[in-house]
Amino acid sequence: MAKGDDLARIVNGCKNGDAECFSQVVDMYASRCYGYFYRLTCNTDVSDELLSELFVKLVKKIGSYNGGSFDGWLFKIANNLFHDYLRAKQRRKKMMEVLMTRREELEEVLESKRSEGEVADRLQVKLAGLDADTRELIMLRFYSQLSLKEIAHMRSEPIGTTLSKLHRGLKRLRELIGC
Amino acid sequence: MHGPEKEYLKELFEKFVGTEQADEAVEDILRGEQILRDNPAPEPGKELIDSIKSQVAWSLLRRREHIRRMRYEAVAAVAAAVILLATIWTGLFERGRGKPEEMRAQIIPVAIWESDNITVDDPHLASLTAEVEQIENELLTLQEGETSGNGERAVSELEMELAVINSDLL
Repeated sequence: MAKGDDLARIVNGCKNGDAECFSQVVDMYASRCYGYFYRLTCNTDVSDELLSELFVKLVKKIGSYNGGSFDGWLFKIANNLFHDYLRAKQRRKKMMEVLMTRREELEEVLESKRSEGEVADRLQVKLAGLDADTRELIMLRFYSQLSLKEIAHMRSEPIGTTLSKLHRGLKRLRELIGC
Repeated sequence: MHGPEKEYLKELFEKFVGTEQADEAVEDILRGEQILRDNPAPEPGKELIDSIKSQVAWSLLRRREHIRRMRYEAVAAVAAAVILLATIWTGLFERGRGKPEEMRAQIIPVAIWESDNITVDDPHLASLTAEVEQIENELLTLQEGETSGNGERAVSELEMELAVINSDLL
């Protein structure tokens, strides 16, 4: 992954409208952002859509990036997109229902795959056992790789609250996974 | 998580809880994040990445087109403003030279304005003036007739003259 000067050069190229630099940004961040969207939505189609939207938005908003953590800036857009998506579709409540249904479905699949000796995405199933806010915090921390201070600032909450929620969430996840 | 990050996390926890509890909390977080690393999310497909790159290129093209159009519009607006200002300025400049007076002079010849000889300049006006003078004379005659007993005739003549003037004016 490009760091420091490389990233600064690429971002500067993006600001000048260089398509090649945008292409590099897509290569650098697509995987992490996709993982973030997928873990939050549990839906590959929605994740595809949000990822596309994120990079198109990046083209429009790159002029407003004024230095600082590019990762933080990009994940802030990703986070806003996720919330916009939920609001626009009025699916927050429905999503939880779907997640619960999917959890049951996935647990069945998991059981069947376990019996067949296959590896399945247990984590996605167990993540449904966390509340939406904690899940979002854990995913933001893991995929954005931002510091707790940056995350607390992004979420407009005291760092102690962020720290406490993260700790409780990850501990609960461990209990759910059973290790 | 790297060593320095672990230390930073521990320091952060120690601000809120005791050292022992902070160690436990850091350990919980490390193990939790290890679970996430052990269970990676699916990767975006190559087709999706290619599609995104195409969309980005298309957005860039549209953005450039938009910027170019805005520049053209700005230039056109400035040009229109310059033309408008030039028109107003020219109008004011010409007015300052007294152009309307020249136009009036073209409609009525300067010689008429400067002349005192009405008979030469306007025959109709000369005729009217003569008739007004004649009425004046007849009024004087009428005043005299009041004493000489010839007043009725003078009134008839005056009426006739007025009728003639009236027809001339019509």
